[in-house]
Amino acid sequence: MALPVLICDDSLLARKQVRKSLPESFDADILTASNGLEALTILRSQEIGLVFLDLTMPELDGIGVLEAIKQDGLDCFVIVISADIQPEMQKRVTELGALAFIHKPVNPEKLIVILKHYGLI
Amino acid sequence: MNTVFSEEQRDCLQELINVAMGLASDKLARFLNTFVHLQVPAIELVNSTQIPAQFEAQYSSAEAAFVSQGFLGNGGVRGEAIVLYQLDNAHRISALLGYDTDSASELEMLTDISSILTTTFLNGLAEQIDNQLSYSAPRVLSSRQNNVTQALIDTACHWELALKVDISYQLIDHSFNCDMLLLIPGEAVLNIQQILDRIVEEY
Repeated sequence: MALPVLICDDSLLARKQVRKSLPESFDADILTASNGLEALTILRSQEIGLVFLDLTMPELDGIGVLEAIKQDGLDCFVIVISADIQPEMQKRVTELGALAFIHKPVNPEKLIVILKHYGLI
Repeated sequence: MNTVFSEEQRDCLQELINVAMGLASDKLARFLNTFVHLQVPAIELVNSTQIPAQFEAQYSSAEAAFVSQGFLGNGGVRGEAIVLYQLDNAHRISALLGYDTDSASELEMLTDISSILTTTFLNGLAEQIDNQLSYSAPRVLSSRQNNVTQALIDTACHWELALKVDISYQLIDHSFNCDMLLLIPGEAVLNIQQILDRIVEEY
């Protein structure tokens, strides 16, 4: 059965980059959101197995989304894909429960290693 | 900007700039040994002749400094990067970094910070479009010693276009604002559009 996946980024290019980096063997049903609020609306209304989350976004940023996921006890894996690569930021998102932190622009090989590591492919 | 670039091109350029700015912020955070709150930089393409007047309007009430650095890449890529600061916070940051608080050290610090910002940012941008840049030595001017507006007029007249990147850094205990201007020749726009189209097509 396909895994419901949400790609959340304010940039269309970045959303496409993530989508194109996913291996063909990854059976996913892909939804997209262009800011944190849109992402939360989707996450609260349907089951999402995995979220690819940008950090720097208008309306609600990625940190806000992670906090809400934690607070609401939403059951989904989160992989952060961010241009903000400060070690302090990586620490923060890990503490908020993100599985992994990937630097932008996303590197497909790294993404595959992470998906394999967590048994998602 | 919207009249020059299509929405897809603008989105693509914004993302390339976000990634490059992320690299520059990380470098700056390590240099200042603090966490830098990163905001999405606002970008705008303007006629370089508009720059001095905009600068006057924005900076005239305060002491300001200007650091410029030329860059040159493959395939005719060239331009001049200018970072503009208000000097309000500069002495506090100087002290934080252990520079002396006289104005010469202040300029030395601004040159260091600008160099980090400019070269890391431009290298990050160049890498994403498979280019490589070299730089001239930075030139620094302060309104305490020089006529910054005149220097800006003299510099801007050599170029036709300016890509304005408004950078706003929030450090933990103080904020730090600067504007980065990339002055580029007019024919560069066509080149940039082609590069952006190629990237958009790739995805």
